[in-house]
Amino acid sequence: MKVDRTKTILTSSIAAGALLVATSALAEPFECPNVGGELIVGLQAGVPSLDQQTNTSSATRNVAMNVYETLVIRDENMNPVPDLAESIEVSEDGLSYTFRLRDGVKFHNGEPMTSADVAASYQRYKDIGFNRSVLDIVAGWETPDDSTFVITLSEPQPTFIENLSSYTVPIVIMPEEEAGKPANQVDIIGTGPFSFVEFVPDSHVLLERYEDYQPNNTLDGVSGFAGRKQACVDTVRFRMLTESGARMAALETGEAHIVEDVPTISQERLAETEGVELVRLENWGLNIGYPNFSFPPTDNEKVRQAMVAAMDMEEIMDAATDGAYKLNGALQFPGQAYFSEAGTEWYNQADPERARQLLEEGGYDGEPIILLTNQQFPFMYNTSVVMNEQLKAAGMNSELRVLDWPTALATSEQETEGWNFFYTGWITVVAQGGPTTLRNLADPNNVHKPKDNTGNPDFNAQFEIVENGQTLEERQAAFAEAQRIALETVMVIPFGILPSTQGIRSNVENYKPFYNTRVSNVWLEQ
Amino acid sequence: MIGYTLNRLLQAIPVLFLVSLFAFGIIYLIPGDAATVIGGPTATAADLEQIRRNLGLDQPFHVQILTFYTNLFQGDLGRSLLLGIPVTEALIQRSPITVGIAIYSLAITIVFGLITGIVAALNHNKWLDQAATLFALVGVSLPNFWLALVMIVIFSVYLGWLPTGGYVPFTEDPVGWLRTTTMPAVALALLQAGLLTRITRSTMLEVLGQDYIRTARAKGLSEWQVIGQHALANVMMPVVTVMGLILSVLLSGSIIIETIFGVPGIGALMGNAIMSRDYPMVQGGLFFITAALLLLNIVIDVLYTWLDPRIRVKGGD
Repeated sequence: MKVDRTKTILTSSIAAGALLVATSALAEPFECPNVGGELIVGLQAGVPSLDQQTNTSSATRNVAMNVYETLVIRDENMNPVPDLAESIEVSEDGLSYTFRLRDGVKFHNGEPMTSADVAASYQRYKDIGFNRSVLDIVAGWETPDDSTFVITLSEPQPTFIENLSSYTVPIVIMPEEEAGKPANQVDIIGTGPFSFVEFVPDSHVLLERYEDYQPNNTLDGVSGFAGRKQACVDTVRFRMLTESGARMAALETGEAHIVEDVPTISQERLAETEGVELVRLENWGLNIGYPNFSFPPTDNEKVRQAMVAAMDMEEIMDAATDGAYKLNGALQFPGQAYFSEAGTEWYNQADPERARQLLEEGGYDGEPIILLTNQQFPFMYNTSVVMNEQLKAAGMNSELRVLDWPTALATSEQETEGWNFFYTGWITVVAQGGPTTLRNLADPNNVHKPKDNTGNPDFNAQFEIVENGQTLEERQAAFAEAQRIALETVMVIPFGILPSTQGIRSNVENYKPFYNTRVSNVWLEQ
Repeated sequence: MIGYTLNRLLQAIPVLFLVSLFAFGIIYLIPGDAATVIGGPTATAADLEQIRRNLGLDQPFHVQILTFYTNLFQGDLGRSLLLGIPVTEALIQRSPITVGIAIYSLAITIVFGLITGIVAALNHNKWLDQAATLFALVGVSLPNFWLALVMIVIFSVYLGWLPTGGYVPFTEDPVGWLRTTTMPAVALALLQAGLLTRITRSTMLEVLGQDYIRTARAKGLSEWQVIGQHALANVMMPVVTVMGLILSVLLSGSIIIETIFGVPGIGALMGNAIMSRDYPMVQGGLFFITAALLLLNIVIDVLYTWLDPRIRVKGGD
C-alpha cells in the first residue's frame, strides 16, 4: 500500500519552508515583463567542464544549472522540493520512493523526457557521479511506465530525499544516449529554460532561450534551484573574467551586466558608480580550518584548545574579509533548521593567558605548529597570517607553510605529517543543512586525520542520528551534541561567516544572488 | 646551408626527449592531482578514488609513462582531463590566438624598440637620448600585469575606447580583433620594447664609431644613406639574435596577460592546466611549446647565417 507522504517529507525536513510556499501561493505566477537581449555574466572562475554530474566546481554549477534540471532540488530556504518530478510518494515502510514525472517536459534536442532517461541518468551518477555515495543505500530502481520512476532502498533512510536533493553536484537528468558517455564527454543537453550553444574554455559559455521549455508550475516563481522559471533574455553569455580588476572594469563599462565576487576593496567605489548596484548574499560560506590530529603538537587536545583560546575572531575576520563579515561560532548559519549554539562558548575567547595555561597543562614544549595555507584564496591567507601572530603572542611556536591551493589541499588530504592546521572554506555544505555539514568530520571521511582514521566514537554516534534519526527534533538534538563535541575537542575551528557580494548594472531586473547564478526570470530594462 | 639546418634539426631531438621526460616527471613530483582539484576541499576519500578511476590516474607510474610515449610516437598527446578533448585539438584551437597576439606584440616591439633605439643613438647624450633611455628603463621595470590593469582603467573605463577584455577572431571581424588584442599586445610588448631599445641604442653607437661609417660619410653619402644602408644592416644582427628570446618571453608572459584580458589562448590554457593538475594538457602543452620554440630558434639561427656571411663560412657550408 502506498501512501502519499510528499507533504510529510517536505515539512519534516524543513522548518521555515512551509511558510514560503504559503506566502508565494498568494502571488501571481511570474511572467517576464520584458523579453529579449543578451545578458552577460562575469564569472570569477573558469568553467572546467559543463558535465554537471562529475564536476564540483561552482563555476560549472553556475552555468550548468540553468541548462539542467533534477527530480528533486533545494528551494530558497534549502528545503527539498520536487522539480522535474511533480510528486513524490513514499511507501509506508519507507523503502520505496515513487517519482511522477512532470508532463510535457522535452530535452533541448526535442525528445520528450521519460523515465528511461531518468533511470539512465541515475545509473550514470551511480557509476561516475561525484556524490554517488548518496545512492549507496539504493537497492534498485524501476520504470513501470514512461512517467514513473521508482527507487527502492535497502533500508529506510529518513534523510534520503534531503541527500538526493543536494546541489553540490546535483543528479541532473540527461537523455539516455548521453548518459552512456564517460566523464566530461557528454553533449550538454538538458531540460532547463536555457539550452547550450557554445563553450569556449577560458573564454565564455553561450546559452539561449529554450522555446519549448515546460516550467514547473507548482511554484509561482523561482525558489532556490527550483520553481517556475522563464528565460526573459534571448541569450546569456557567461564570460570567464578571473582577474578581479578586469571583471570590475567590465561591470563599470557595461560589458558585463552581472559580476560575481566584488572584492571588498572595490565595493566602496562601485557603490558610488552610476549605473552599478551591489547585491549581497549574507550567508555564503563559513571561513573554517581544521587541525591535524595525527601530528604533534596538535595531536594534543590541550594544545588545540589553547589555539582556540588565543584567537580573536574579530581581528581574523576583519583581515580575511576587509570588514565584510559576521561572527559565528556555530557550524550552521543562524536561522537554519540545525543551527545550535552548543559548544560556541569556545569561540572568540581572545584570551592569551588562558591559552598559556592550557599549553602548560598540555605539556607543550615549543614544538612548531605548522599552518598550511595558500595565497590563491586571499581570505584563507589573511586568516592564517593573523592567526599565526595571535598564536605566537600566546607563546606558541607557529609558522606558515604557504603552498599553491591544489598542493595545500592535497597535502591536507594525503599527508598525516608536516602540517598542523589547514585553512579552507565550507561554501556549499553549510547551506545544505546538518547532515551534509558534518559528513566531513565523521568516519570514514575525517578531514582532521584522527589516528588510524578512527574518529571520536561519541561524535560518530551523534552523526549516525543526524543522518538517520526519525524526526527532525531528534536529528537537531544530535546535531547540537555533535557540534559541541567537535568544538570542544577542536575537530574544526570556525572563524566566521563570509558573504558573497556581486555587482549588477541597474538595468538588470529581478536578479537575486544565491548559491548559484540564476539567470531565469531576470530581464533587462530597455 | 641545408646541411647546417639538418644538423640543427637532429640536435633538437635529444633536447625534445629530455623535455618530454622532464614534463612528464615534474608534474608527478608536485603533490596534488587533478582529482583533488576537481573534488575540492569537501571531497571524501571515496570520491577522490572514483575521480582518479574516471581519469585513469589510478594506473601505476610506469604504465602511465609507457602510454605517454607510445602515444607520443603516434603523434597523440593524450586527452585533456578537464576539457574532455584531445590535447592536440586544444593546442590547435588555441595556438592561432596566442601566435596572432605574439606577432602583433613583436611588431610593436620591433617598431618601437628600433625607432627609439636609433633615435637615442643618433642624439647621443641629448634630451631625446635621455627620454628614450628613461622609456626603456620604465618598460623593463614595470610588471606587465600591473600595466595591463592600468591600461584597462584608462582605455576602457575612463576613455571607453577599447573593450576590457574578450577575444574576437581576426577571420570574423578584423576590427574587433584589433580592438581586443591591442591592449594585451601592448602590455606584452612594453618590456621587450624597452629591452630592444637598449640593445639597438648600444649597437648603433658602436656601429656609428666604426671605420666603414666614417668612410661612407667621407665618400659624401647623405646621413640617410649612411644610416639606412650601412649602419642599419649591422644593427639588425643583435636584433635578430634577441628575437628568439623575445618570442619565448612573449609566450611565458601570455599566461598572465591572457588571464587578465580573458583571451582564450595557449597561455590561459596552460595556466589553468597547471592549476588544475591536468597532466596530459601540461605535458602535451610543454612538449608542444618547447618544440615550437626550438624550431623557431633554428629558423632564427638559419636566418642569422643567411644575414651574416661570416657565420656561414664558419658553419662550413
